Amino acid sequence: MPGKWQLKDHEAERLLFDGRLLTAVVLIALFFVALVLKLINLQITQYEYFSARSDGNRLHSQYVPPARGLIFDRSGELLADNQPIFNLTVVEEQVVDINETLNFLATLIRLTDEDIAQFNIRLDRNRVPFASVPLRYVLTDDEKSRVAVNSHLLAGVAIEPQFVRHYPLSSLTAHSVGYVSEINQEELDQLSEDDRENYGGTNHIGKTGAERTYEDLLHGTVGYEIVEKNNRGQVMRYLDRTDPIAGKSIELHMDARLQQAAEKALGEFRGAVVAIEPSTGGILAMVSKPGFDPNLFVTGISNKDYSVLVTDEVNTPLFDRTTNPYPPGSTVKPFLGLAGLHNDFVDYDFTIQDPGYFRLPGVRYRWGDYTLRTVIGGGHGQTDLQKAIYQSCDTFFYDLGHRMGIDTIHGFMSQFGFGQNFALDIAYARTGVLPSEDWKRSSRGEPWYPGDTINSSIGQGYMWATPLQLATAASIIANKGKVKQPRMLKSVDGEPYDQVITSKIPDVFLKDPDYWRYIEEAMTMVVHRPFSDQFRDYGTAYEAIAMVDRDMSYKMAGKSGSAQVVGISQDILSSTDIVVSDLNKDHGLFISFAPAQNPHLAPQIAVAVFVENGEHGSSVAGPIAKAVTDKYLLDILQIDFDTLNNLPPLSEPVKRPLITVSDE
Amino acid sequence: MNNTDFTRQTSNLDGIESRQHTIWRAIHADPPLLVGIILLCGFGLFILYSASGGAVDVVQRQALIMLGGILVMFIVSQFNPHVIRRWAPTIYAAGLGLLFLVLLIGVEANGAKSWLDLPGLPSFQPSEVLKISVPLSMAWYLASRPLPPKFKHLFWSAFIIILPAGLIIIQNDTGTAIMVAMSGIFVILLAGIRWRIVFLGIFSLLLASPAWYLFIAQEHQKNRILTFFDPYRDPTGAGYNIIQSQIAIGSGGLYGKGFGNGAQSHLDFIPESNTDFILAVLAEEFGFLGVLLLIFLYMFVLIRGLFIAYCAKDMFSRLLAGSITLTLFFYIFINMAMVSGLVPVIGLPLPLISRGGTAILTLFISFGLLMSIQTHGKEINK
Repeated sequence: MPGKWQLKDHEAERLLFDGRLLTAVVLIALFFVALVLKLINLQITQYEYFSARSDGNRLHSQYVPPARGLIFDRSGELLADNQPIFNLTVVEEQVVDINETLNFLATLIRLTDEDIAQFNIRLDRNRVPFASVPLRYVLTDDEKSRVAVNSHLLAGVAIEPQFVRHYPLSSLTAHSVGYVSEINQEELDQLSEDDRENYGGTNHIGKTGAERTYEDLLHGTVGYEIVEKNNRGQVMRYLDRTDPIAGKSIELHMDARLQQAAEKALGEFRGAVVAIEPSTGGILAMVSKPGFDPNLFVTGISNKDYSVLVTDEVNTPLFDRTTNPYPPGSTVKPFLGLAGLHNDFVDYDFTIQDPGYFRLPGVRYRWGDYTLRTVIGGGHGQTDLQKAIYQSCDTFFYDLGHRMGIDTIHGFMSQFGFGQNFALDIAYARTGVLPSEDWKRSSRGEPWYPGDTINSSIGQGYMWATPLQLATAASIIANKGKVKQPRMLKSVDGEPYDQVITSKIPDVFLKDPDYWRYIEEAMTMVVHRPFSDQFRDYGTAYEAIAMVDRDMSYKMAGKSGSAQVVGISQDILSSTDIVVSDLNKDHGLFISFAPAQNPHLAPQIAVAVFVENGEHGSSVAGPIAKAVTDKYLLDILQIDFDTLNNLPPLSEPVKRPLITVSDE
Repeated sequence: MNNTDFTRQTSNLDGIESRQHTIWRAIHADPPLLVGIILLCGFGLFILYSASGGAVDVVQRQALIMLGGILVMFIVSQFNPHVIRRWAPTIYAAGLGLLFLVLLIGVEANGAKSWLDLPGLPSFQPSEVLKISVPLSMAWYLASRPLPPKFKHLFWSAFIIILPAGLIIIQNDTGTAIMVAMSGIFVILLAGIRWRIVFLGIFSLLLASPAWYLFIAQEHQKNRILTFFDPYRDPTGAGYNIIQSQIAIGSGGLYGKGFGNGAQSHLDFIPESNTDFILAVLAEEFGFLGVLLLIFLYMFVLIRGLFIAYCAKDMFSRLLAGSITLTLFFYIFINMAMVSGLVPVIGLPLPLISRGGTAILTLFISFGLLMSIQTHGKEINK
């Protein structure tokens, strides 16, 4: 080794090394200059750009959904309110691997294939980038904590509180108030550009009933907030906010207590009750039974629950019986009577000798008296219009209908809302059928036969009406012709809501206003005319209503009806769950208004009751109408009729909404 | 005051200065280097506090490691370079032995099987030892050969470098392998290897690189190269880090967003914000001026290191000090250039700023070597 040392030229090596050091210093300087130039490029030249990018990273504009307006009944009871739930939401853009995340979540919380399928549908909808999409609604506390603990593994997944609709009365208001449910693609497509913006933060939309009708009022205006989010999509700070404008609260004419009473009165029957305040047209009660729990739909009904609802062909809980038509049966007789009086086909003295059947001239076929079909022999004897109504004499109306002809019936009865939808805010209500010769030709392509008129005269055949229409028509008689279109909405945010009426429906004018009194008297006799020595001379509903409640403090005008069941499907007939004969039973109907013939008080309530397969209008539907009327007049309004009846008669007759003079 | 007074006072000042020099020499510390290191450590802890979101425990742990590092540095600086030189081959052999041991019983972490978990010892990476022992043994080897080195010596030098670097590559830790190799290569460069050989080497590397890319490079390495040229080819995957770090740096502007106000880092948009990408935090919160300050501090330490190499009294010390300083520069530059998008992403920490464990100790050992070289066997006031 020493030899090698001698070979070394220390001075030269030192110079060489120092040269290399100098080179190193220069290179270091050059590299740092390059670095500084790059930094200048990033931090000074492109500062604006990166500054904006940084804000874009962290700042997110997100929708703040407005609180949905509440729905109250007329006494201030909540029919629909908002309750907080916690949802699991996902921001797809922030999720690393969506399938992995979903699989992991499935180990933490209950997550069905259906939830995931629903989630994918929601993802496919048009939506703002970085918007959170609900994966599962209504997390339990336990599930919430399990997700929270693992949040570091769940980028893009968050638990978001949300207010959702709650219907405290559950099935009681299922059809009338309706429900909200998750907005679907079709509904989104139907929204205008502005509305779509307005629904940016909204998951739900009114699907049925008042929720749907008053969607615009209830929804409110969307707000915005600028938030700072971290890399995992968690909101760190709220920076700016435009508050949403809550939807307006609405008050309905509906009375929850009456609704309850109607539901209770229907008992085990399937059917419908509609009650209307004649002076305003306000719908006091609107019950379709059986109902269903509308709350199920709010957070997405499961397929299983839904299939239970739709496969029940007998009970059809989703089917709204108040707004779907049935043969009205004998409940149309007062209207036919009015038509006969107005058109001079009958007068107070007109009678027929009823043999119990009707025969068209030159035709052998006998139209039997439907109400008497179980009674052997005989008719009603000498029968005038009033008796024809309180005894529900078919033969009288066969004759009257035949003489008037269907088009006269059609022209007169359409004034009462038959064949049309008079309701201001129940657009989904069906119109039923008020037949005419034209109607049959255009819809059936067949001429009108005289026999069709006979059937229609007792509310059968082609005649179809909804319970809502029957209640409306009854309220028009109660009003002596004044038409107050039925409506649900009473006020908005406390302001009485004068519905913008686009098509004012003319009132019904009779040749002689005394006809109203005459028919009201006849209808009162339906309920109150007792049994006597006279042959068949009592009111059809006397036994079930006035005889049961002998101390009845007010008078009720009514008309019963029963309608033959048509068109039961073979499926139902072959079903083993139900006794077929039950489904063959007639539908029972009853219309009424009260108090009737009261010198101090105009009628306060008009009711239509429809009982599916109830068999008898008078004995089954009648007491239901009575119970609803009792509840309203005696319990809710607390009218003291005994005191009222003891008052001396007024010098002037009580001011009815309309007697003779038009207000136009 | 007259001239005499002035002279007396001046000479008196000289006296104090030389006495201080003596004290520093006695404890084998180089004051300028020490000041630079302490300033960098302080700055690093300061940034780490913000980068870790105010995690006091993280900062405390880092401070403790740094204190331990300073202690280690002083222990190392007590040894005379001659002693170190004598031990160089042994340390090298021991390092290689440990690398072989890793091959047999190594433990895997972060994709690299480079950890050794011996009973009674904290787990460590033997490759860290090589970061010191390769320049040591290279300096030992070349210092006793005529310079510039002859081809034969270059061949053996290459052997000394490639053997550990290859072993480290087998452990799947390419970044460290490159650093180890570079620390050896710097010795060769400083030893005066002819420029034509250097250029030939660079040229042949360039020629070989397509072949490397096509046949040898692993998928993630290819990805890094592609991402370097176009970060937006996969903005949420491979390109995410560099995009977010550039956003952080760029949005810092000239003055920065202020301490603790870096949105990018505090909202977790910068990955590895405590370690490899901590420069992005600094640049975001303190802006261009903050980065300049850091560069200035680094320059100070680097120049002092080169000055120590320049003053060293024998070739071994010169080569060692020069290599240590250049390797430090290489770390600094590669990290800063990678974070700002000047070079492809290579997982290297920013010395004295990034959070870390054994790597910091290695760094302090090399500082200790610099101090040893500066404070042993030299004239006062050299």
